[in-house]
Amino acid sequence: MTEPLLRVDSLGVGFPSKAGVVQAVTDVSFEVHPGEVLAVVGESGSGKSVTALAIMRLHAKSTIITGSIDFDGIDILGLDDDQMRSVRGRDIAMIFQDPMTALNPVFTVGNQIVEAIQAHHKVPDDVAWKRAVELLEMVGVPEPKRRAEQYPHEFSGGMRQRAMIAMAISNEPKLLIADEPTTALDVTVQAQVMEVLREVQRETGSAMILITHDLGLVAGSADRVQVMYASRVMERGSIDEIFYESRNPYTRALLDSIPDLGGVRERLEPIPGNPPSLLNPPPGCGFAPRCSMAVSACSTVVPELVPVTDGHASRCIRVDDLVPVGGAA
Amino acid sequence: MDQPTDRPTGVEHGIAGSGGEVRSFAYSDVLTSDEAVALEGLSEKPKSFGRLAWERFLRHRLALIGAIGLVLIALLFIVAPWFSDYAFDERNVRDRLLGPSWDHWFGTDEIGRDLFVRTAQGGRYSLRIGLTVAVLATVFGALMGAIAGYFGGWIDNVVSQLVNLILVVPALIVLSVWALKFGSSANQLSIVLAALLWTRIARVVRGVVFQIKEQEFVMAARAAGASHGRIIVRHVMPNFVGVIAVEITLLLGTAIVLESTLSFLGLGVKPPNASLGTLVADAKGSIDNDPIRVLTPGFFIVLIVLFVNFLGDGLRDALDPKSKAEH
Amino acid sequence: MTALLRVDNLVKEYPIRAGVFRRQIGTVQAVSDVSFELGHQETLGVVGESGCGKTTLGRSLLRLIEPTSGTVMYEDQDVTAASKKEMRSLRRNMQMVFQDPYASLNPRLPIRDIVAEPMRIHGVSKKEAGERVGDLLRRVGLLPEHGNRYPHEFSGGQRQRIGIARSLALRPKVIVLDEPVSALDVSIQAQVLNLLDDIQHEFQLSFIFIAHDLAVVRHASDRIAVMYLGRVAELADRDALYEQPAHPYTHSLLSAVPIADPRRERARKRILLQGDVPSPANPPSGCRFHTRCPLAQDRCVAETPELRDVGSGHQVACHFPIAPGETLLDRVGAMGRTVEIAST
Repeated sequence: MTEPLLRVDSLGVGFPSKAGVVQAVTDVSFEVHPGEVLAVVGESGSGKSVTALAIMRLHAKSTIITGSIDFDGIDILGLDDDQMRSVRGRDIAMIFQDPMTALNPVFTVGNQIVEAIQAHHKVPDDVAWKRAVELLEMVGVPEPKRRAEQYPHEFSGGMRQRAMIAMAISNEPKLLIADEPTTALDVTVQAQVMEVLREVQRETGSAMILITHDLGLVAGSADRVQVMYASRVMERGSIDEIFYESRNPYTRALLDSIPDLGGVRERLEPIPGNPPSLLNPPPGCGFAPRCSMAVSACSTVVPELVPVTDGHASRCIRVDDLVPVGGAA
Repeated sequence: MDQPTDRPTGVEHGIAGSGGEVRSFAYSDVLTSDEAVALEGLSEKPKSFGRLAWERFLRHRLALIGAIGLVLIALLFIVAPWFSDYAFDERNVRDRLLGPSWDHWFGTDEIGRDLFVRTAQGGRYSLRIGLTVAVLATVFGALMGAIAGYFGGWIDNVVSQLVNLILVVPALIVLSVWALKFGSSANQLSIVLAALLWTRIARVVRGVVFQIKEQEFVMAARAAGASHGRIIVRHVMPNFVGVIAVEITLLLGTAIVLESTLSFLGLGVKPPNASLGTLVADAKGSIDNDPIRVLTPGFFIVLIVLFVNFLGDGLRDALDPKSKAEH
Repeated sequence: MTALLRVDNLVKEYPIRAGVFRRQIGTVQAVSDVSFELGHQETLGVVGESGCGKTTLGRSLLRLIEPTSGTVMYEDQDVTAASKKEMRSLRRNMQMVFQDPYASLNPRLPIRDIVAEPMRIHGVSKKEAGERVGDLLRRVGLLPEHGNRYPHEFSGGQRQRIGIARSLALRPKVIVLDEPVSALDVSIQAQVLNLLDDIQHEFQLSFIFIAHDLAVVRHASDRIAVMYLGRVAELADRDALYEQPAHPYTHSLLSAVPIADPRRERARKRILLQGDVPSPANPPSGCRFHTRCPLAQDRCVAETPELRDVGSGHQVACHFPIAPGETLLDRVGAMGRTVEIAST
């Protein structure tokens, strides 16, 4: 296997509040290899977005961060603010959920892409502008020359997200982080934007972390999946391992709880209860109170993320009891 | 696994090992577990809204200081003259321009009146105007704002234009003209001030109501058959009391300052009565050699406005059910 | 089938105003000529993308928004012509559950008062309402003791349960569910969907289930109406709609939804529609889908297709509907045209 591009090691992110520290990310370790798409899946509060923000170092000063993030030989958490700024947008770029608020309403779309380019490369205005138009064309914005001179409000939601993607890839980053990139869009537009995102990712050869709650999106777009719950990684594996050979009760319950577009299921199998509080989390496995397989030990010890096969790991003390019947185990 | 067209989790996930602990998700299980979890987060004994608001208020240290401070000042203004041997308009030519002493706590003015008693009298007058204006302007402004915001359309247009019109009128000039032409009793001044100052509240309330009425809970009340009156009283108003609490205190401060300004300019209260503003005005000649005479009434103006603002802040937090009782 | 609710040619127009004098410069047809029936204990799903008018439709049914024209009949009562007093009694039978569990509960009122409000409005005594609140809360999976608490103390899923309890308070016959689970996490969605399923049987309810998530709608509905820019594009029994869609828009929509099954996802050819949904303020002429339709022809630009029956209640508003057994791709190929296919 190639040398990983990103190596996150025992990352912890805590937000101090009046009532104590909200531990949004606990002991998260993972790697992203060049050119691959890693999907990070979880419900709200699972820590998936906070992990991404930590990699970009886009968190408030008061945030408590532990562990280490190694990106292409650079110790991200050890950089000063100036050094980090030169990494951000050039080596690592981010695409946000809401293209409405991520673009500045008082500048033209072209201007904003030019600005993104010139933040890292000393190129003359006309060269940067030409490049901006090319980028818009690349992400499928029709009439890119004319559209570059328009303001964000003249763009529809889908077009705005395309512009965001153009801006993100303007410096050919090695890593793209897409945080719920299509959640705010209509279904038919979602499909278009995902297509663009995958195309540019393939063309530029950059790696991508795709953060989403939508398991359908994951099934079609990712190489590997990391499932998070209550600030921890619950399971990680190839896409088929997660969807067909899961060794984690949470992953299985999550997959069981979604209605199916193709099949007819009369009764859904919900996960009972609610996710635990991250401020004073209960001891033991975060999923134990909702888990149908929980045993008494689950509420005392936090299980380790144990390898199942090469690349497949699960955090569950009953991992050996979770064997897929008739599966490729 | 040979049927790729199966459901997403196409594989039958069997659970090997001891079967005893395996539980299925029957519906009743879902509910009981949910109850358990629901209870877990909500185990503390519930308290009434009033009690919670009171607790939140008590923990808001500045608000408490503001409230106690205001009560003390009011008490001082009301009670103090009882213990003084002087009346507020009693002249004592021999005791002109005395400094603070045991006999005259704040000293005396140019015609020998006791400044402590006069400050108390002026303070009462200022507070009275402030309170009257705050109440009148808030009630009227909130009503107009709520109506404009709730019904929208031409009603909103009329109210908004009226508000804009009044906002561009320079308050001080209108007040001066009014005072010169019609006199300046406390009641008259209060009414004119209120007529000028309700617009701020109306604007704020209108904006808030505009937001609130679009909220789904208002839609839900309509779906249940609630009348306009019920919706306004039960759903809209309680959601802007916090905003009003802040505005009413700001208004009280503004009214006191405006009245003081008028009085300072000689257009407010007429002698021998005093307000905090006239006391500053009367003493302005001695600002160089005897600054304490200007500073005392000025100090009370500042103190009242400050305390009132503290109070408003605390009220807003106390009336917000979402704010936690930690400060 | 005697319909419980019957909607005929419902239209809702919004004026577009501009300038100092708020002169009307145009209209937005949010709901345009919509007709359907809802049977006893039936769930009619209404699905579509943003701007398709599904939320306006739901609110117009209850006259939370005044429809511009058309009629809504509840049993033999004309909802659209009801007086204020008649409307009040109609509201006992027709209720609503809202999308946003954070905005749909008044933050200043304890849960008890929120759930009791419809009963109090309709003259139930405080004591009796209080007792029923306990039962209702228990029925939706909460505890009567929770009545003293305020909305912000509950999670999104719990709040939606409270909204459901409120909608049940008057024992209605019809509940309009406006995106009832779209604001919730997937594991919580399933809890609420199952709860809705249970109360439908227990209280013999008919649902209008409005959503944008096609999988959720399929799970929850008996029949489904697909809306596009204010019009019903297709209306059919759920399985017919999902397995044999006749409208090219339904085809594309189903094709665009990613499926949480990697193998099926890899095996499938997903059609990518071109462009965005046009603005409802300026809808395309003729068939409103013609600007994005891979099958569009001159007639589609000129003539608005009526919703017509193509067999056993399967209604479609398309001049060239796709036949059973045929796919959109087949048709596109037969016409010598191409469509963009997703690359996975």
